[in-house]
Amino acid sequence: MIVLKYIAFALTSIIVGLLFMGLGRKYSARIHRRYGPPFWQSYLDVIKLFSKTSISHHWVMDFGIMMGLAGILATIAFLPIGPFHLFNSMNGNIIIMLYFMTIGYLGMAMGVSASGNPNSAIGIARALTLMLGYEIPFVIVVISLIFINKSSLLSVMVANQAGGFLHWNMIRYPLGFIAAEMALQGMLGEKPFDAMIAPSEIASGPMVELSGKMMGLGFLQHAAQIFLETAIITSLFLGGSSNVWIFFLKMFVLYLVSLSINAVSARFKFENAVKWFWKWPMALSLAQLLIVIL
Amino acid sequence: MVLEMAHGTFACATFNRDFIRGVDMLITSRNDLRDNGWERILNYFRKKSMWMLHYCTGCGAMELPPTMTSRWDMERFGIGPMATPRQADLLLVTGYLSIKSLKRVIYTYEQMQDPKWLIAFGSCPLNGGIYYDSYTVINRLALYLPIDLSIEGCMPRPEAVINGFNTLMKGIEKGTAVGYKKYKENYEWYKKNQDAILNRTKPVFDSGVKS
Amino acid sequence: MTQKEISEKIKENFPNAEIKIIDKKQFSVLVDKEQIIPVLAFLQNIDFKELAILTAVDWIDENQFEIVYNVFSYSHYQQILVKARIDRNNPKIQSVINLWDIAKTYERDVHEFFGIEFIGNDELKPFFLHNWLDLPPMRKDFDSLAYSNEVYGKFKEERDK
Repeated sequence: MIVLKYIAFALTSIIVGLLFMGLGRKYSARIHRRYGPPFWQSYLDVIKLFSKTSISHHWVMDFGIMMGLAGILATIAFLPIGPFHLFNSMNGNIIIMLYFMTIGYLGMAMGVSASGNPNSAIGIARALTLMLGYEIPFVIVVISLIFINKSSLLSVMVANQAGGFLHWNMIRYPLGFIAAEMALQGMLGEKPFDAMIAPSEIASGPMVELSGKMMGLGFLQHAAQIFLETAIITSLFLGGSSNVWIFFLKMFVLYLVSLSINAVSARFKFENAVKWFWKWPMALSLAQLLIVIL
Repeated sequence: MVLEMAHGTFACATFNRDFIRGVDMLITSRNDLRDNGWERILNYFRKKSMWMLHYCTGCGAMELPPTMTSRWDMERFGIGPMATPRQADLLLVTGYLSIKSLKRVIYTYEQMQDPKWLIAFGSCPLNGGIYYDSYTVINRLALYLPIDLSIEGCMPRPEAVINGFNTLMKGIEKGTAVGYKKYKENYEWYKKNQDAILNRTKPVFDSGVKS
Repeated sequence: MTQKEISEKIKENFPNAEIKIIDKKQFSVLVDKEQIIPVLAFLQNIDFKELAILTAVDWIDENQFEIVYNVFSYSHYQQILVKARIDRNNPKIQSVINLWDIAKTYERDVHEFFGIEFIGNDELKPFFLHNWLDLPPMRKDFDSLAYSNEVYGKFKEERDK
């Protein structure tokens, strides 16, 4: 039973993630005053990618790409999606989730480094450096929330935010929310912080050697990642929801905010991005922590 | 032989007919290689999501930014620019092709994964265009690589480019845009032509001297 | 210095030089090929610090190549085309790499496209052309159309006119 439920979780995350990507592309296009692709474009892309031949340079490359997707999907097992959850005892333990998310990134790093292309090595080095930037303020925010709720379970945090809009952590702890929102921009790799992708400088960075089916797996990983990261922020700050559709809607609004910033901003150099992360979100999150503790 | 004529206001896009002398020597024609069965179903998705390699060989690259961005917006057909040949389905040879870039275009084409399509863009890859008498610019791309679609004009306007993409989509749907299979089947013929200009060992004229 | 002063100074030092005024910012100096280094060194000393380009012209009827050194001065705001003619059958001239480093590249280029040899420059390896075995292509007796038709094929309708 739990296996079937897990498969449903994984499929939901991928399907909803792809839908978000497609809607997001349409949304960005409208900001650019373009017509934009249809919202089901991402599904077409994925099917096309899986219909292509692909080339692998090393078995580590195959393994790493699969590990990347598996890491993200494994994290989703711990994620409460609206009213649904898999494990009763660890219903969204945020610390376990942060650990598991890293496995996804490391798998991706391993896979693309094995491809042997210098651009992908540069790209993944940037991605991991940037991760060092946004993880620290994010973890500080999470610690302050754990401190308030006396629990690291997302379900407890969601339950503590029940009772309407004004009880959301977003309103009660605005500094922490802003810091987490900034970190989310980095997690999603959207525009001020997309130095690891940078198609015109390092030829799309980590994805440079991914072809056909591997690119498809990368695509799915990105979709699952969007789902996971927006879901965590929704549970932490937007009060979660007992209705799964409202939960998805909140996630989508978070994603749209991120895309709006993406559509109108230019790219940070990655060392500047890391400095920025260690300056502003860090200051905000530390201020939040102090407020909470005192 | 399928010939799709799509008359636009500014130029017309035609499926590259094998009208070129010497192509009779090819072992198989495009018709024998047509996609069938399961491939035809996948072709529906392939034509809806073509990723174009953002690699520019010549002056025609100038026409692509307006085609991609707000004014003409080719993303509404699912066509987007991609950074590397590994990810791309479409290779555009935009304008004149000197021998040095021909070598790179061949590498690029061979790095791309099946199914892949090659579009000859502008008149230079078709007949040399205004460089017909140049000593470093090739006259016919079709001798060295299999062209799936030619967009005529010097340069084709973005309307013509989008028209060409739509024509290619029809070809993919019918299963006739199979240049990559043709390249595999007739690799020796193409390789011979490529070697004839890339790895020449004798001077062309008797008066030739190695300086 | 004005244009007139510069040209008089050149005339003073190199009586053989033929000076031709092109416009108020530009004039040409035709010298013997043995004098090319002294003339350029002299010009460099009076603040013509930039070698804008070094190129060649093929005068096939006179059986000569003309090497053109285009030097420029920011302080006088003058451009001088220093020219020297050499025999077409034995195209050799002294290299100017000791005066300007950039000449290395220009000479390599001229060597590839005209087949002119620069004595003293040992980096005259192939530059732009891919696997070139024929006559240098910028020479007037090189038939580009015939070459193109031979190597890249001929298009019947257009070429047989």
